[in-house]
Amino acid sequence: MDKKWYWGIIFFTVAVNVIMLQLTTRAYLGREFEMVLPYSIVGVVMAGIAFFTFLQWKKVEYKEDEK
Amino acid sequence: MSECPKSRHANKSKNDMVNLVDNVEQKEDLKFNRRAFLKSAVGASMALGLSTVPFSVRAMMGLTDDEEDRVEIIDLDQLPVGESHKFYYPTEKDQALLVHTVDGDLVAYNSECTHLMCPVFYQKEENKLLCPCHKGSYDVNSGQPIAGPPQRELPLIEIEVVNGKVYAVGRQFRHG
Ligand code: FES
Repeated sequence: MDKKWYWGIIFFTVAVNVIMLQLTTRAYLGREFEMVLPYSIVGVVMAGIAFFTFLQWKKVEYKEDEK
Repeated sequence: MSECPKSRHANKSKNDMVNLVDNVEQKEDLKFNRRAFLKSAVGASMALGLSTVPFSVRAMMGLTDDEEDRVEIIDLDQLPVGESHKFYYPTEKDQALLVHTVDGDLVAYNSECTHLMCPVFYQKEENKLLCPCHKGSYDVNSGQPIAGPPQRELPLIEIEVVNGKVYAVGRQFRHG
């Protein structure tokens, strides 16, 4: 996979997580408690995706150094 | 001592940050900075995502303790049209305002401004609720913000009038 893809995925998760944090706090303060959990599940999943994408990217990126 | 890179362009370290500091080549510089930038982005994404967790934990715990009861506020004849009365509902910490609007309606809201929690008061000349701190104002009939910084409505307190007495019977956070 092209390295650009890793960048794309990671910045996509940043964007989604900014929105999720905003929606979670809004739902929480508005006492719409049943909406808080779904938002934060999305947030955590996105954080996981960011992390695993990072691990993949790291493998590819640092392989070049060893050459 | 471990050997340190002697020649000008030697990048011997395994650590990006060490290379970045010692580095003199522009191309390499870009590479190391780009890597550092992506790492910060990953960190930011994870921090943002995980920071939603405490909210859901609190929300799961908070779901149960929301039972509210019926509390007497005031005798209706002590509250003439255009006046307001301060009370506390549902607990002693939640300040609220009962308003007898100039149109003759009875409405009640928790009176902490949804911006930064200053107490709002009723202004009968303009028939609206005003927050003195940053000039936020709310529609007195709906509790919805109409001007200034507040973004959310005031929590609405449901009231009932029985035998000339006003009671608070419940509360709605999202309404209208
Ligand atoms: S606290 Fe009410 S407008 Fe800022």
